Amino acid sequence: MSIEIPKDSWPGEVRTITIGATAEEGGTRTSTVTVGGEKTLPFMHFESPMPYRPVVAIEIKDRKPDDWSQLLNETWGEVMENPGLWAKAAEEVGAEIIQLSLSLTDKDGNRNTAEAAVSAVKNILENTGLPIMVYGPGQAEIDNELIVPISDATKGERVVLGICEDKNYRTIVASALANDHLVTARAPMDVNLSKQLNILIQDMGLSLDRVLMDPTTGALGYGIEYGFSVMERLRLAALQGDAMTQLPMAVTVGFEAWKTKEAKVGVDVPKTWGDWLERSITWETLTAISLIETGADIVSLRHPESVKRVRAAIEELIAVPAIA
Amino acid sequence: MYIIGENIHIISPKVKVALKERNKNFFQESAIKQVEAGASAIDLNMGPRKKDWEEVFPWIVKAVEEVVDVPLVIDTTNVNGMEAALKAATKAQPILNSTSAEAERLEKVPLLAKKYGARLIALTMEKSGIPVGADERVGIALEKLIPRLLELDYNMQDLIIDPLVLTVSGCQEFCPELIEAVRTLQYAWDPPPGISVGLSNVSNAVPNENRPLINQVYCAMLMGAGLNMMIADPFDKGLRETIRVIEDRDETTDVGKLYIKISDRVAAMEEPSIDDVNMSDPKQAEIWKTVQILLNKVIYADSYLQQ
Repeated sequence: MSIEIPKDSWPGEVRTITIGATAEEGGTRTSTVTVGGEKTLPFMHFESPMPYRPVVAIEIKDRKPDDWSQLLNETWGEVMENPGLWAKAAEEVGAEIIQLSLSLTDKDGNRNTAEAAVSAVKNILENTGLPIMVYGPGQAEIDNELIVPISDATKGERVVLGICEDKNYRTIVASALANDHLVTARAPMDVNLSKQLNILIQDMGLSLDRVLMDPTTGALGYGIEYGFSVMERLRLAALQGDAMTQLPMAVTVGFEAWKTKEAKVGVDVPKTWGDWLERSITWETLTAISLIETGADIVSLRHPESVKRVRAAIEELIAVPAIA
Repeated sequence: MYIIGENIHIISPKVKVALKERNKNFFQESAIKQVEAGASAIDLNMGPRKKDWEEVFPWIVKAVEEVVDVPLVIDTTNVNGMEAALKAATKAQPILNSTSAEAERLEKVPLLAKKYGARLIALTMEKSGIPVGADERVGIALEKLIPRLLELDYNMQDLIIDPLVLTVSGCQEFCPELIEAVRTLQYAWDPPPGISVGLSNVSNAVPNENRPLINQVYCAMLMGAGLNMMIADPFDKGLRETIRVIEDRDETTDVGKLYIKISDRVAAMEEPSIDDVNMSDPKQAEIWKTVQILLNKVIYADSYLQQ
């Protein structure tokens, strides 16, 4: 008996965006990453092939963080003291992009400086050929203070600069425009605000071909269902033809997953929770894969084992099944 | 269109001050002006007045009744306050605003409506909140609100169901469903209940400059679905003009023609079509973009008109 599989055909498609630039393209990267281009929902190969696979970034910091899980410190070890070496180690364990999250302060508690941030970024660029994303600490004033000099110092590299939020996007967008970079637009799990921010960024003259959106999410058990629905809704709107939502999505999964109690706490928890390390990796992995299945194009992770597992899952999901 | 004037509302700072000062003139003037502007009834929203309900509710009813003859809408959650207001009302048949399907309110408020022969606005809302789907909202009316009123042998022609308008900015998926709820509720009982909505809720949290357009377009769509009563600002000239154009089928302007067409499409259970719109006319293009967000076809953003 033959079964006819019903197929959806969508009028819209997600923009195709390339991160990083090689020497010929005006940068110094040895590889670039291209995401987006979807013409249907993730992995619906029978409707339309997925032109680019979702990619895994590894999140690193410009110095050894004070508040990361001891499990992560044990895994990365000494390289955490040197962002260049950390990036190199991340590349070796399977990162496709390096996502640098700048610290608010140095190790002595003094406010981070532009010099230190630029030097961390240069160090990273020298030690890895991967494309990079650089996010500020998340406070408008210092974000701008750190991101603009980095943007100037890396002109032409097609770095993804972040974070653009509704209260603070102009400075970063202007700097991306001036130096041929890209930006990440982040809204707090709200489709209306995500779209609004994209409109505002485009109004400044930055082509949406250079914008990723981060709809924000929660980890498994901490609001992932809201994040999932928001991303699904944005992607459906994109496929339905809403130009202001047709952007690839990048989410900071590691950041969310590693702040959950399940990942953070190793003592005095119920025995049934199982092994601490395995639990934490599972948390990060499942959060990432769930969001990839709702349309995430880039997931930033923290643990090498999660990277391995998520990449393996993508490998299987992207394989077009043979239909007998 | 039966408009319940919404301007006496405790959320307005001026109303708050006037009430504090028991400024009778302020309320009388507002009521007179609202009626002159076309309001068929006057909503009196004083808040719950937990401390001074005994005095405030009769006071405001008497003050307003001195100057206008239209029905007064007693808009509060305070059941004692409602009764005090009902006792004071002597002119037109008052309207109680409101009951919902929550057990306690549904127990008490309809009893008052029955006892004082008042009309009653009933919200399609339960303790668990407002359902998204039109069918679920109609279900609340059929399974909870109407049975309770039948139980009291209430005159069903005095029932007004409010299926609850929510804002396009944040609750966009509710907007098309509300249109269908308005359509279906007209067949909820024989004789049919009245249906009323708080129109301007649709543009809550929307930048002020866009609110009138969203209200007007939604009004046209709801009129197509059969709406003939709403709580609204009677001084909103644009809204009144939209209502007039549709009621009179005044096709003398292109924008008017478009509003009529949108209303007709909804009435025929069709989707408004881009073929009805001259997109080179900026005003018509704006109306079309607004239709798209209200039908939840395009995601709302504050700058949706710039897209």
